[in-house]
Amino acid sequence: MRPLLVIASLVQFAVVAQGFAATHPTLPSLLAATDKDGKPIITQEERTYYDGLNENLKDLFNQVVQKQIVTRPEHLGMLLSLQLRPQKMELLLKNNCVLCHSDSEIQTPEDLFSLSPKTNQTPGHMNLKDLVEDIHFQAGLSCAGCHGGDPAADFGHEFVKQWPEKDRTKNRAWVVEFCARCHSDPALMHQFNAALPTDQLAKFKESPHGVLLLVKHDDRAPTCISCHGVHGIRPAKDPQSKVYAQRVPETCGTCHANPKTMAGFTLADGSPLPTTQLAEFKASVHGRALLERADLGAPACNDCHGNHAALPPGVASVSRSCSICHSTNASLFDGSKHKQAFNEHNWAECSKCHGNHAIAKTSDSMLSTKVGGLCGDCHRQFANDHPQCIDTANHFHDTITSMDQARENFIATSEKLAQRGLDVEPIENQLTEITDTLKKSRTYIHSFSQSTFQQAAAPGQEAVKQTGGLVEKARQEYKSRQVGLAVSIAWIGLLMLAVYLKLRQLEK
Amino acid sequence: MNIAEKRGGLRGWLDRRYQLSPLLEFLQHKEVPLGSHWMGWYYLGGVTMFFFIVQVVTGVLLLMYYQPGEATAYESIRFLTTKVPFGWLIRSVHSWSAHLMIISLVLHMFSTMMLKAYRPPREITWVSGFFLFLLTMGFGFSGYLLPWNKLAYFATTVGTNIVRSIPLLGDWLLQVLRGGQDVTINTLYRFFAAHVVILPLGFVAVIALHILLIQRQGMAPPLGAKVAPRGMKFFPSFALRDLLLWLACLMILAALAVFLPYGPGIPGMDWELGQKADPLAPAYPGIKPEWYFLWEYQLLKEFPPHLFGLEGPQVCLFVIGILFAIWAVIPWLDRRAYRDRSSPAFSDLAWAALLFLTYLTLMGWDIGANGAIEGVAAMEKVARVCAWWTLAAGLLIALVRYLRYNHRWFLFSGAALFQAVLHGLLGVSYLLAGTVSLGLAILGIAILNFTGSSPDKRRAN
Repeated sequence: MRPLLVIASLVQFAVVAQGFAATHPTLPSLLAATDKDGKPIITQEERTYYDGLNENLKDLFNQVVQKQIVTRPEHLGMLLSLQLRPQKMELLLKNNCVLCHSDSEIQTPEDLFSLSPKTNQTPGHMNLKDLVEDIHFQAGLSCAGCHGGDPAADFGHEFVKQWPEKDRTKNRAWVVEFCARCHSDPALMHQFNAALPTDQLAKFKESPHGVLLLVKHDDRAPTCISCHGVHGIRPAKDPQSKVYAQRVPETCGTCHANPKTMAGFTLADGSPLPTTQLAEFKASVHGRALLERADLGAPACNDCHGNHAALPPGVASVSRSCSICHSTNASLFDGSKHKQAFNEHNWAECSKCHGNHAIAKTSDSMLSTKVGGLCGDCHRQFANDHPQCIDTANHFHDTITSMDQARENFIATSEKLAQRGLDVEPIENQLTEITDTLKKSRTYIHSFSQSTFQQAAAPGQEAVKQTGGLVEKARQEYKSRQVGLAVSIAWIGLLMLAVYLKLRQLEK
Repeated sequence: MNIAEKRGGLRGWLDRRYQLSPLLEFLQHKEVPLGSHWMGWYYLGGVTMFFFIVQVVTGVLLLMYYQPGEATAYESIRFLTTKVPFGWLIRSVHSWSAHLMIISLVLHMFSTMMLKAYRPPREITWVSGFFLFLLTMGFGFSGYLLPWNKLAYFATTVGTNIVRSIPLLGDWLLQVLRGGQDVTINTLYRFFAAHVVILPLGFVAVIALHILLIQRQGMAPPLGAKVAPRGMKFFPSFALRDLLLWLACLMILAALAVFLPYGPGIPGMDWELGQKADPLAPAYPGIKPEWYFLWEYQLLKEFPPHLFGLEGPQVCLFVIGILFAIWAVIPWLDRRAYRDRSSPAFSDLAWAALLFLTYLTLMGWDIGANGAIEGVAAMEKVARVCAWWTLAAGLLIALVRYLRYNHRWFLFSGAALFQAVLHGLLGVSYLLAGTVSLGLAILGIAILNFTGSSPDKRRAN
């Protein structure tokens, strides 16, 4: 019986194989397929990409066609058009879930991975281009890692239901716990990125966002995917990541700049939570540095407000976060009389004078004690009985504005003198000193003490004096050149006159 | 026994040994011919020589402080101009005098051309003058690099690169010129040697010949007058007038050096030291050579990358070579002046050369670009504005020549203007416009010869 069975099964296999070969396309036939006008469906670019692949990948392509996972030339063309690097293409070709879910013939729009989701009416997170760039996908965590199932199986939908089947889109509190299964596991995360913290969930639970989601069960509360995305998650240092420094303001602004989403939320004092932060930030010194000049040292929302927690580490309140960067100003302020006064009034420190989201470039006129000047206005209202403070402010204002004015004048003069061919190097050296002192003096205002300020300003005042002398010396030098020229011209003129007279005498 | 042997004193002593009397005799009777044209043209050679003497004197003074070398060339010039008393003056005078020398040399050359002073027996004087012109260009080019500043470094890189286009020898010549593949400190050493030793030796030799010939043959009398109708004694009348003019030049030079120590602020005529050369820094856009090289620079730009199976720059160098060769042998080409007859065609050729140079130089200067120097639109705009200027200048000159000097021959200058109009105003490519204009000029000459309307019959210069 057994030999018969073997023969029978061999015959059966041969028939099946023959049928397979007869009714199903092969890779070469898909590559060579043409449309009804006779035009090749695989474009020249896609073909060139295929021809450049190594044998292993070509074999993988052959396999997915043989297994009838890819059956249409259009589907094959779409995969080739991604122009992926070999490693990524290998991951993709070994992932039957994605291969099947990227065939528009057999998928409904909501289950289809597309190259241009918006035009195909498929959801935004079903973007194939994003998926292949996803950090999880690249690290080997594919569909099954979250959805369950077996990506190597030829066909299988027996996925483990990892999350609540009912209302899972309305009550999304499970999302954070779901991500945390891996991200809160130090041993696991260490295998992928040893520098990545694993306390995100712990911090999130303490944060206003976390409280809103987990305690108040507000469906507007953000989860991990609100900021990081779903299928196209990239590391924060990737410029295309939603949490890359330059994209953070827009990401936060998705909710915080939307009055509908923010309706009903209030500040500590009970006033409605504003939605103007994004617009204010964009116009501020920080926003312009970050977004226009691409200065990644400038803060985005999270640098003051924290990422997963409410505040950055080691900072007592949001208003103290300025000191992370502006440390000298902060430490001078901490040692000043203003510190105590601000505490008594319960004022936020830096933002009281400089504002928060809309921080504008500071100007020396803020020091003015006249009406409209910051120092003057505040002191008239809250500390009118301290005339010595007005003196100090006046001293700051006058010292800095006069030094600044002198600097401007010297720069203009120096340019003129240089054009006249005079040596301006010593003047330029002094100008550097003045510029440095100005910067330092403006910082030392935050001591709100005349003597401390004067220590910083004194070298600049000396440099102004020195420069004045140097400019005067250069002017004298120029004057002496002109005098020398006049004398020389007079001598040459006399000589010319003598030659002329001699000529006349000779030719008479 | 002649008188000299009886004469006592130093002069007699010298005379007995060196027979100076005939020489003095000659000089005493030497006369400068006075004729129909303005006498001022006779002074331009002397003025050029004056500026050359200033160059030698200031050059030697600069040499006392200048130290060629990677770490010293720029620094020594900086030290000289900022710390050394009158160092700024020496450098400023040297630079001003260099530019003024080129201006007076070009004027001298063109006036010689217009007055046909190159006609026999003065052909060699013209050729030696032509070599002095080339040597002066060499002085300008080699001296430019010596301060070892950024501008000079890149201009030299661009300038020496042109040599590469010479067929067969190009790469080798480039290496010889640069002392290696790139412009390095070795290039500076070479340029320094050329600027202070090789070129001066050559220049002194040629200028000696040039002056000897002028002294021996005297200045050219006006065309058509074998013997000058009137004359002016060279010594002392002309020599004292020369001295008077030299003193005036010295005065102007001093004033310019004090009031505009870094030049008039025109691109290509500016010698502010700026930053030190940095071979690793990227070349910045808008690098331009000195103003007297601008026309060549612009002509190179007008050539396409490939032409007649050769590289564009090669063809361009070939064209420039032909133009220079024609210029050098003009005394033999101008058959009418050879026979001491008026040759209006060659006067017009000189004007055509000036208009040709003007149009190219203006374009090289980006006149009319208003800051935009890149892009086809900007180039077309520049060409248009420059064509208008050249046309205006050319028509004005033609009008003056027609009314004041009774000139009737305008084929060459007309062709030069026609080329500017075709290229600048009608958008025809520069080379095509040039070929068409040249063709029309040749056709015009052929028709003139055929109809026999020889310029002989007309009164011309």
